[in-house]
Amino acid sequence: MAATTAPDGRAGHQVGRSLHRLEAREKVSGRAEYTHLMQLPGMLHAKIFRSTVAHGRIKSIDVSGAREVPGVYAVYTSEDVLKVIPDPYYGPAFHDQPILAVGKVHYIGEPVAVVLAADPHVAEHATQQIVAEYHELPAVFDEVEAAQNKTLVHEELRPAGTFADLKHLKGRRGTNIALDFRLRRGDVDKAFAAAAQVFEHTFRTQKVLHLALEPYASIADFRDDGVTIYSAAQGPSFVRTEIARLLRWPENRVRIKVPYLGGGYGGKLYIKMEALATAMSMLAHRPVKVALTMEEQFYTITKHPATLRIKSGIDKDGRIIARKCEVWWNGGAYADIGPRVTQKSGFTASGPYDIDNVAIDSYALYTNLTPAGALRGFGIPQLVWAYESHTDMIARALKRDPLEFRKQNLLRNGRPQATGTILKDAAIEKVLDRIADRLNWKQPVDHGTGTVRRGRGLAVALKAVISPTTSVAIVNISGDGSTTLYCGTVDMGQGSDTAMAQIVGEVLDMPAESVRIVPRDTDVTPYDMGTLGSRSLFHMGHAVRLAAEEARSKVAALRRELGEPDGSNAPLAELFLKKYGMQAGNIVGTGTYKPDYIPPDASGLTTNATPFWMVAGSGVEIEVDTETGHVRVTRLINVADVGKPINPKIVETQLSGASLMQLGFSMFEKMHIDGGQITNASLADYKIPGMHDVPRVMENETVDAIQENGPFGAKGVGELATFGVSPAIANAIDDAVGVRLTELPLTPEAVFRALRAKANKPLGRE
Amino acid sequence: MTPFDLVEPHSFEETIGLIEPDDPDVRVIAGGTALMLMMKAGVFRPRRLISMRKFASSLSGITATSSGELRIGAMTPLSALEHSPHVSRHAPVIVRTMRRLSNVRVRNVATIGGALAHADPHMDLPPVLIALGASVCVVGGAGERTIPVEDLLTGYYETALAKNELIAEVRIPAPAAARSAYCKVTTGSADDWPALGIAVTLAAGGATVKSARIAVSAATTKATRLTEAETALVGSTADDGTLKDVADIAAEEADILADGRGSASYKRELLRVYVVRAVRAAMQASGAP
Repeated sequence: MAATTAPDGRAGHQVGRSLHRLEAREKVSGRAEYTHLMQLPGMLHAKIFRSTVAHGRIKSIDVSGAREVPGVYAVYTSEDVLKVIPDPYYGPAFHDQPILAVGKVHYIGEPVAVVLAADPHVAEHATQQIVAEYHELPAVFDEVEAAQNKTLVHEELRPAGTFADLKHLKGRRGTNIALDFRLRRGDVDKAFAAAAQVFEHTFRTQKVLHLALEPYASIADFRDDGVTIYSAAQGPSFVRTEIARLLRWPENRVRIKVPYLGGGYGGKLYIKMEALATAMSMLAHRPVKVALTMEEQFYTITKHPATLRIKSGIDKDGRIIARKCEVWWNGGAYADIGPRVTQKSGFTASGPYDIDNVAIDSYALYTNLTPAGALRGFGIPQLVWAYESHTDMIARALKRDPLEFRKQNLLRNGRPQATGTILKDAAIEKVLDRIADRLNWKQPVDHGTGTVRRGRGLAVALKAVISPTTSVAIVNISGDGSTTLYCGTVDMGQGSDTAMAQIVGEVLDMPAESVRIVPRDTDVTPYDMGTLGSRSLFHMGHAVRLAAEEARSKVAALRRELGEPDGSNAPLAELFLKKYGMQAGNIVGTGTYKPDYIPPDASGLTTNATPFWMVAGSGVEIEVDTETGHVRVTRLINVADVGKPINPKIVETQLSGASLMQLGFSMFEKMHIDGGQITNASLADYKIPGMHDVPRVMENETVDAIQENGPFGAKGVGELATFGVSPAIANAIDDAVGVRLTELPLTPEAVFRALRAKANKPLGRE
Repeated sequence: MTPFDLVEPHSFEETIGLIEPDDPDVRVIAGGTALMLMMKAGVFRPRRLISMRKFASSLSGITATSSGELRIGAMTPLSALEHSPHVSRHAPVIVRTMRRLSNVRVRNVATIGGALAHADPHMDLPPVLIALGASVCVVGGAGERTIPVEDLLTGYYETALAKNELIAEVRIPAPAAARSAYCKVTTGSADDWPALGIAVTLAAGGATVKSARIAVSAATTKATRLTEAETALVGSTADDGTLKDVADIAAEEADILADGRGSASYKRELLRVYVVRAVRAAMQASGAP
């Protein structure tokens, strides 16, 4: 699409255009830069030797064999790391993760030693010559078992201190609980006692992972006066702060450069390979690249498996009067952002319903597994899986229509959500109604006969965005009028660069295509909390808008200064020429955005939990093969409230992409774990959805809505279509064949076993 | 992956001469799609690979004899089978199988000889070839010999090939009015390896099954014929009662293993269902690819 301006020089509205992504040509023609493919002169490759035990004291690490391999530059363990970084522990919530295992290993696959060589094949070969001996310790893998604190993963908790609500955990011993979020609203016990009926169900989700097509990669180039890190990172500002802390340096000596990312999905947040690459470069005095293989991603970060117990009290009129949720999050060996997942998702664990009495207990647990972090939804898909299955089960038990039961209990704008924050600009009912309309809900379903049975299901969800967070942006107009945007939001495929350019274009009345976005570089681009949790369009969108508006005011001031008549639209280049006598000068606008927020009190209540609510749902039509348990999603509908879309086309692709990702997590993706060992850690045995898994009919829609406090009425979209997919399918399976699955994934075998159990012919376990 | 030698001889004879029977780190590579996965995973670390690429053209090609027997050179890529008019006419089940066999990138490179010699029980082609009564012509130290595919596969990644023997050609007998079907059953993504593969070839005189060959794969350690199930089917009209018996016998006869794609008890139920579906599909097969 060519950049166009009208004859009067006006570009017209940029917001609302379905502009192609600005970087699309660069990417499809292979010109886009990725960390995984980058080379620096003199660079060494690091290959990691990993733990083979789930929990153990390191007795010895013999690296002599590796050192003897021709071509090996060096072999390092934590002993070496400690010499250059005396306190080598990192993490956003807890400083619990060592650069290389110190004294103990806490999960199978944990980095223990590193080989450096100019040839990555030599380094990889040499890692196999390393021999480590461990004194094995008892290990714990299940989150509910971990909560009993019989087997401990860490001796002592090490909260980072950056989160006020974690401070009370400092130095705590004898526990695996890294955070316990508690919310109490009304009096649940009294309400349960008064309820006409009480329902309680337990749900589980499995361990799955991000599997970005570009695996984790960082290159560190350490010099005595500063370090430059090239990294596939979703949050360059956090990386800079954390590396500076590890080095005990001011932030201005740490530079993080981020090219495009080959996917992120929450995996590339916080510190991943950056600290290890830095330590290796410090030791080797050479640039060092740590680029993982696809298989190594299984040992880096995953989604949280969870056990969710949910109990509801219903009065005689069918209103939900009490809900109690207990959630155990399996955080793996290191906390990463797990405590944040636990707390922030805890806000909405009771779902998009208007319930006067709510009790929520949400526990972040350490276990001896690969650490868990954020994955496209920050815990919300797990919660929705539970509460939208639970809601459907209650409706069916009460012989109520699942849609009508939901509508009766739905939380509406102006009413307090579980935290006490008043719901605003949350089109929950509109979303639900659109899904129902598209499913033609009022008409009965043809359930089919014989071995193919049909059903339909829906689910709707609510999320509070992570808050409070800050974004800063700079807009720079050059002497010829061309405009550059500096912002730290990382475009990892979600199209944020295009959306931000549209916002600049809207404010400054120029085609979005003409706006240049500077590649992320912390020496150049200002602070941003991170590209996560669907926060960027709202927060950075505001910062970019403010920066552009400041630049626009300065342009107006310049017009006045130069005596331009009111309403003049003389081109910017002419203004600069008039002012400086040549093509020279800049107009710089800056913008900082941080929404208001009130932290929850001891009861988990706050009148301002979030600057905006995220609302989405899904509806499905499915077919079940009753002879085999195979489920085919024949139609997948995703409806979301994204406020006013900045770029409708990108919104649609975000919805379809998120729902397909969740479809994999719903139907078959699962890390099989045996005694802490992942037994399918490769793409040969861990499958993600392919083209043939895409439902025959997919519909993605946004409801007509405006986010009053959003930039141009907009809010985020990236995670939304992950929310409703899993429970919608489980609800449809129940509708089709009358069996209820409470554990993900919804494999053919799980469906088949449930069918056989229902027929009183349970299938043997062998 | 660690560095290794790659040698590219110019003839079959030269290739056989380069094999070092006592060194498992020296291997012959055909298309390489399976070996490369093993090498990337670190399961196989070759010292030397002997590539047949340089003379692949002399070992590629599909011909049909006047009687309708198909002769397929061992280095023929799977995509050539997929698009061959000979295969389409004489063994259309192979063309149908190709549509869900891995993906087009693999089919363009993987070879029929390599697929058989690799003996991965999850592959789609071996059960189909067994059901079709195919055999391989093998060349090596002891000269030349012919082995039925069902005897070639002896176990999990194991074959009857001597260390210095290579598959030169695959022969599929004339169809003699046979009808075939292959069912690939996945329990993960659509493009996952199968949890169960089942191939059936029938010859029917009128409504009666005159002969039957049934092969199961993926759920077993190797692609295996189910001869008792075949016997139960022959002479019947593949009526519902007979098919129920065939299903029970097949489920009893096959040695089903559990893995990440399903428990043994579940896969046994899948076999029960899919042996019936495959027989029915074969009965209805029109001969169109």
